[in-house]
Amino acid sequence: MFDLLPERLEWYYGGPILGLLIVGLFVVANQPLGASGAYVQTAGLIRRREGTVTWRVWYFVGMFFGGVLVTQVLREGAEIRSGYDSLLNVFPLALVIPMVFAGATLLGYGAAMAGGCTSGHGMCGTAQRSPASAAVTASFMATAIATTFVLRLLTGGDL
Amino acid sequence: MKFNLVGLIFGAAFGGIVAASNLHEYDTIHAMLRFDEFDVFFLMASSIAVSLPLLWLLERRGVNTPLGGRLALSRSMPEKHHWQGGVLFGVGWAIAGTCPAPALVMLSSGALLSLVAIPGIFVGLRLRERQTAGSLVAGDGEHRETVSV
Repeated sequence: MFDLLPERLEWYYGGPILGLLIVGLFVVANQPLGASGAYVQTAGLIRRREGTVTWRVWYFVGMFFGGVLVTQVLREGAEIRSGYDSLLNVFPLALVIPMVFAGATLLGYGAAMAGGCTSGHGMCGTAQRSPASAAVTASFMATAIATTFVLRLLTGGDL
Repeated sequence: MKFNLVGLIFGAAFGGIVAASNLHEYDTIHAMLRFDEFDVFFLMASSIAVSLPLLWLLERRGVNTPLGGRLALSRSMPEKHHWQGGVLFGVGWAIAGTCPAPALVMLSSGALLSLVAIPGIFVGLRLRERQTAGSLVAGDGEHRETVSV
């Protein structure tokens, strides 16, 4: 709407701010920050499971609206699009949809198994000096890089 | 009530930074994993470089938090499920080019295939939950207060 933010915030602003958010959540509430936990609690609320941690559901809602604030209000406003133009340049939509779904299912399953994702283990867990988080981070970085390399080979460098 | 507001504010700030850094774009994640640009590696490393020493110091000082008692970090040793989960997560991350927080921001930004990715993540989490019948050993990560995942 307002075009106030640059196209991309430099990592040397974004990274330290994320670091301060991790510290801030501990200082205010003594809680680790993480996105997949918010998914788990949101799913729990929808299925009316007992013992749902409500604030993590609000965290889930917050992530969406934080995204709206930046992409639609502070920037000029993003348009409706697929979000996967690069994949669609290489594969037909009929393949991209199951690919994205399968990838997302796999990462959701993996996050549940590992007990966290890129934020919960990758940043927040590592910042707590947890050896388990370092192990999770090392393993997902390694397989993500390897998978990308294989995708690149399979598409003859198009991806 | 206060806790929910804290969740909303921190979620919005986190989602906002994800969006501002374009982490919700397939191309950003893909370029990182292809080693075309290192910004996301630097972003993650610098967030840890800021938070790790601060958390260390705050824990040592035994800071009391307004909503959660004495500040305590959680650490655990790697077990098999950590390695296995990480391996699967990485493969999915590379294929879908997104992870839980950025997938939500994709939706905020009008990227319609997030409507495929977000349900996929929920399905994946649910599959694991069903498999463990609620007896999953919760990792440390962000799941420390949940009994079942």
